[in-house]
Amino acid sequence: MIPRSMIPTAPSLLASSLFARLVAVLAAVLALGAALLLFAAWASARLAADEAYDRLLVGAALQIAETIASDGREITVDPPFSAFETLGLSPRDRIFYKVLDPADRLLTGDADLAVPVDRGRLAAGPILLDAEHRGQAVRAVVAGRYVPDVATAGFAAVVVAQTREARGALARTLTIKASLMVLAMSALALGAVAVAVRAALRPLRAIEGVLAARGPNDLQPLGLAAPQEIRLLVTSIDHFMGRLSGHVAVMKRFIADAAHQIRTPLTALAAQLDLLSSETDEGRRRDQIARLRQRTAELGHLTNQLLNHAMVIHRARSAAFGPVDVAGLARRTLIDAVPQAGDRTIDIGYDGPEDALVIPGDAIALREALANLIHNAFKHGARSRLTVRLGRERGRVVLAVEDDGPGIPAADWARVREPFQAATGGGIGSGLGLSIAAEVAAAHGGELRFETHSEKGFCVILSLPDEAAA
Amino acid sequence: MIPALVPSLALLLALLLARPAAAEEVMRFPASEHERTTLTIRGAADTDAMAPLIRDYQLLYPDVTVVYHEYITADLFSGVAAACAAGRAASDYAADVVISSSVDHLIKLANDGCARSHRSIETGRLPDWAAWRNEVFGFTTEPAVIAYRPDLLPREDLPRSRVALVDLLRRKPEAYAGRIGSYDITLSGIGYLFAVYDARAAATYGRLVEAFGRANLQVRCCTADLIADLEAGRIVIGYNLLGSYVYGAMRRGARLGVVVPQDYTLVLTRAALVPVTARAAGDAFAFLDYLLSERGQRVSREQSFFFDRTGPLPPGVDGPPSLSAAGLFRPITVGPVLLAVQDRAKRARFLAEWRQSIGTQVK
Repeated sequence: MIPRSMIPTAPSLLASSLFARLVAVLAAVLALGAALLLFAAWASARLAADEAYDRLLVGAALQIAETIASDGREITVDPPFSAFETLGLSPRDRIFYKVLDPADRLLTGDADLAVPVDRGRLAAGPILLDAEHRGQAVRAVVAGRYVPDVATAGFAAVVVAQTREARGALARTLTIKASLMVLAMSALALGAVAVAVRAALRPLRAIEGVLAARGPNDLQPLGLAAPQEIRLLVTSIDHFMGRLSGHVAVMKRFIADAAHQIRTPLTALAAQLDLLSSETDEGRRRDQIARLRQRTAELGHLTNQLLNHAMVIHRARSAAFGPVDVAGLARRTLIDAVPQAGDRTIDIGYDGPEDALVIPGDAIALREALANLIHNAFKHGARSRLTVRLGRERGRVVLAVEDDGPGIPAADWARVREPFQAATGGGIGSGLGLSIAAEVAAAHGGELRFETHSEKGFCVILSLPDEAAA
Repeated sequence: MIPALVPSLALLLALLLARPAAAEEVMRFPASEHERTTLTIRGAADTDAMAPLIRDYQLLYPDVTVVYHEYITADLFSGVAAACAAGRAASDYAADVVISSSVDHLIKLANDGCARSHRSIETGRLPDWAAWRNEVFGFTTEPAVIAYRPDLLPREDLPRSRVALVDLLRRKPEAYAGRIGSYDITLSGIGYLFAVYDARAAATYGRLVEAFGRANLQVRCCTADLIADLEAGRIVIGYNLLGSYVYGAMRRGARLGVVVPQDYTLVLTRAALVPVTARAAGDAFAFLDYLLSERGQRVSREQSFFFDRTGPLPPGVDGPPSLSAAGLFRPITVGPVLLAVQDRAKRARFLAEWRQSIGTQVK
């Protein structure tokens, strides 16, 4: 169970909430889409309005043009009411018009209507154009009627211009209608997105719910059916749970064992202290104090090893690997261990490269492992010889501690890797060294092996992956 | 403002200035309270008709002095157009409200950008045909009527439609030759407007004008002259006269009869606009709103123009139950169609045809 207070409080909702982030992105996309659609709606509405009113405009111009008549000398025009009624269909717009004869003389209308007349194009039909009249934007049409029988034969031109109010109003109305639809659609889409995102995130909530409802000791897999996208997450959580529960089990056993291991010598110490307090004989008293001292030293060693073991296990899980010079490490550890030989005559040797041999690893854990192996060798094995051997072997870096002692019977090899499972005949505190080494080897992706050779003696080997070979 | 128009407007202005001052009558309606402002109204509407409206308006706005200038329509148009072309600063031609029975003039002015836009509850109540661009507002409903002398016209001869009139002239040419009067449409704006709409309204227009020509139609410049001729007995029937003026004369005691034709009813709405050059625009719009209000319309119906759109015809008028009676109502719509009426080529052609039909007596 994760206490709520441990969830980091993010600087903003956007950074903290998947829902807010998804909805924000989708809202931005929708807004952009809506903006584009609105622009398109406005453009097409303008076009539609122009098209609709252009027809009226052209119709009116043609109606006026039809009344242009010539009797050979004079050209007359009689703008019909219907033309103005047609234009009046856009009720608010001002109307300007003029009729010019082929010689560009004004027949009727507004003399100041400055719309250019391009007679060359009139034969093809009415020409529509945008212009300005008296400071107002107008839409204008120029229509022609061919007059062949006057001095200057050619096209008489009808120019009709109309202000854009009705067009603007129609375009506005159309745009507003389209906009309302676009906005409604966008709102609907956004709502749907919010609902969909919420639904999509529901499995996460289920996970959260299941996790939150758990007791602190419940490390069972979640056992949730998850959608494809978060199946990996659920699997990872389950996997993590599995590992965690494994480790917790190991820790529990370790603690139980450690408690047992410490309790036994403590009881013995207490008993010896009782004996000591009631002993009156000076000689036996001295012996008992010596035994007491030895027991205390052993207890100290055991405690150290327990702590080291815990440290190694902890590091195996948390320490980052860095480049480690195993050759240097082996030499230094060996030199540090020389005093353990005490007054025994033991031939201590190093057999390995003088140069650095670098692998990725945790230097502290590796040294601890090696130190334990050397310690074991001094304590239980070596009669006259202890050699630390380092070398590359079939793509592995092999660190071996070799002695001429009796070694461990092959039947016990598997068992002694476990904590507190010292080989037969070991005293207290002898149960952790190999287990620590095995842990370290496993944390480095390697293994702890045993070998017995008739000529070399007993050999404990740390076999580690070699970076150079990988 | 419009360079090309300036010379012609200058010419019009020169003509206007050259005219005797009698072309314009001024009447002042002083404020009854401390005068806040002066509202200048220039109108082509009889002062007698406008006075009751102005006085009633002053009951609502007692601190406004109203100066009413009465014109004939053409002078009014050229004056306002010139002032508009000159711009507000350059002109000393004060006009806050312009009223004209020649609605086509007002439409032309509005089309040329000389009018201010105004929207209110009152303007919103107007039917579509009675207003344009929220700039030109029709505030009266005045039919074109046939006026006659009841004592000189035998009852069986009373024409209740144009066809009946044509028929009468054909049946009794001698009796009515030279005794029918109407507007000289080359001089009268209303006359021209009514004639153009007659021509649009029905296919009988050609026959009518032809019959008028044969009957030696007497033409006059204005309604007042025609009414005077009727009162004096010089003519017996007046065709297409402005109903409100004829009815006003009847109320004043003239021996006249009024027929609202039953084939179709041409209806003119006298219109008002507030020019862009107006100085007291706020009061001008208030006056406009007053004209269009229930109160203004009631005063108009009872004292000024006597007819209204939907109510029954005033007492003593022969005709359909109301002006807007189904199928008969032909309003002269306030809108861009009137620009066609204003078209110079069209006018020239129409007048030429009319002259030709009416005969030589028209100079």
